Amino acid sequence: MNVEQILQLPSMPAACPSYPMGPYRFINREFMIVTYETDRDLLRQVVPEPLEPNPDGHVLYEWIRMPDSSGFGDYTESGVVIPCLYNGEPVNFTAQMYLDDEPPISAGREIWGFPKKYALPKLEVCSDTLTGTLHYAGQLVAMGTMAFKHKEAPGGVEAQAQGMTRTSCNLKIIPDVDGSPKICQLVAYNLTDITVKGCWLSPARLHLIPHVNAPAADLPIKRIVGGKHFISDLTLPHGRVLFDYLKDA
Amino acid sequence: MNKKDVIGLASMPLQSPTYPRGPYKFFNRQYLVIRYKTEADAIRAHLPEPLEPAGDTVSVQWLDLPDGEGFGAYSAAAQIIPCTYKGEACNFVSQMYVDNTPPLAGGREIWGYPMKYGKAVLKVEGDTLKGTLHYASQEVATGTMVYKHDAFNKDHSAEQALLTRTQVTLKLIPDINGKPAIAQLVGINFTDVVIKGAWHGAARLELVPAVNCPLADLPVKQVIGGLQMVTDMTLPYGRVLHDYLVK
Repeated sequence: MNVEQILQLPSMPAACPSYPMGPYRFINREFMIVTYETDRDLLRQVVPEPLEPNPDGHVLYEWIRMPDSSGFGDYTESGVVIPCLYNGEPVNFTAQMYLDDEPPISAGREIWGFPKKYALPKLEVCSDTLTGTLHYAGQLVAMGTMAFKHKEAPGGVEAQAQGMTRTSCNLKIIPDVDGSPKICQLVAYNLTDITVKGCWLSPARLHLIPHVNAPAADLPIKRIVGGKHFISDLTLPHGRVLFDYLKDA
Repeated sequence: MNKKDVIGLASMPLQSPTYPRGPYKFFNRQYLVIRYKTEADAIRAHLPEPLEPAGDTVSVQWLDLPDGEGFGAYSAAAQIIPCTYKGEACNFVSQMYVDNTPPLAGGREIWGYPMKYGKAVLKVEGDTLKGTLHYASQEVATGTMVYKHDAFNKDHSAEQALLTRTQVTLKLIPDINGKPAIAQLVGINFTDVVIKGAWHGAARLELVPAVNCPLADLPVKQVIGGLQMVTDMTLPYGRVLHDYLVK
């Protein structure tokens, strides 16, 4: 394998790259998001500067079913997203993500710095209940339930598609081979080509169980704000650096 | 979290770093190594320049790692290609499969170990030391070896040399814009290697073609033999042997 071929490789291993080059297209991506209010002081501790946590103390706990994801396959994800401000602009900071498929774990961490770990999330309709569960290392660590399609979201699919163009950001950390930091950046991306096929608001509940390696419960639930359920097609492109801690800090 | 603390994080995510700082010590790390002859052209196609092939023998290995500091208990399987770098005998780690996030993410992000998620099992079943590897629910590799047939060989100098030989990986990390951020050949040398036992014996190996776990792309022409080892050893940080992005 010569240098030109090596530099064309999208990822490791050279013999069978984990993920191809992006962008990545998702079809029928189904979300259940339970928004809740947590302790504002704790929220500040888990949001990296220069991001500012939202003043309402809101946290989004998400489940996402992804049955058809180009380059990645069929998988399910669950995790914690924190609405924040970056220079006054509203952004969504991905704080924790758990999924059951290696290519999106490796690509997520290595390209965009999604803080992904391997676990077993599930999102399914169980008779009258949209149910999300997350098992980490054999233990249940999150359980969310939502009434099934009680009310169409105000503004319908257009408003939801517009909302999904909001900038998302991650803290990307990649060590150098000597253990020193090689990449330490706040990175941003924006979804494109978004089609929302349905969007519903319904009552929801959320249960988080303390676990050291999947610590969603470190942001305790003070009050449930509500549940949102939607299905969409979308494209995840590459992104940009917002803040480089090794240069700007 | 303030900016200085962000730079001090060992890994993502901020709230529960996937892996702590190294080095990483392993206790009772057990190997089944099956060496076999394959096709010289296939070896050359798998080796990144400037590594050079060293013969036509490669190996598939199973590792049982019951106690890895910072990582936990897990199993792994790997395909190793002996080669030379500037004349020095090395082992290129071509493919590796594990069932645990900290070594998977840490392996890729620190050293460039080419790890994917696969279910490797190494165990003694009756009279047989057996390694299996499942990828995406299919059994893609099966290795079997006789159990401790040469129980009285106490000279482990050859095994010591094998385990301390430089391992080489091809570390590739993209930048956020999709261009390569890191493209390096990395050299790794295990330290504090203690061999608690080593046994050679007859072995067989079956590799099944699978696109995302293509061990069978280095086909088995002839099995040379099996090697079982039980060790304690430490995985330290590595060094850059060759940087493809620096002209």
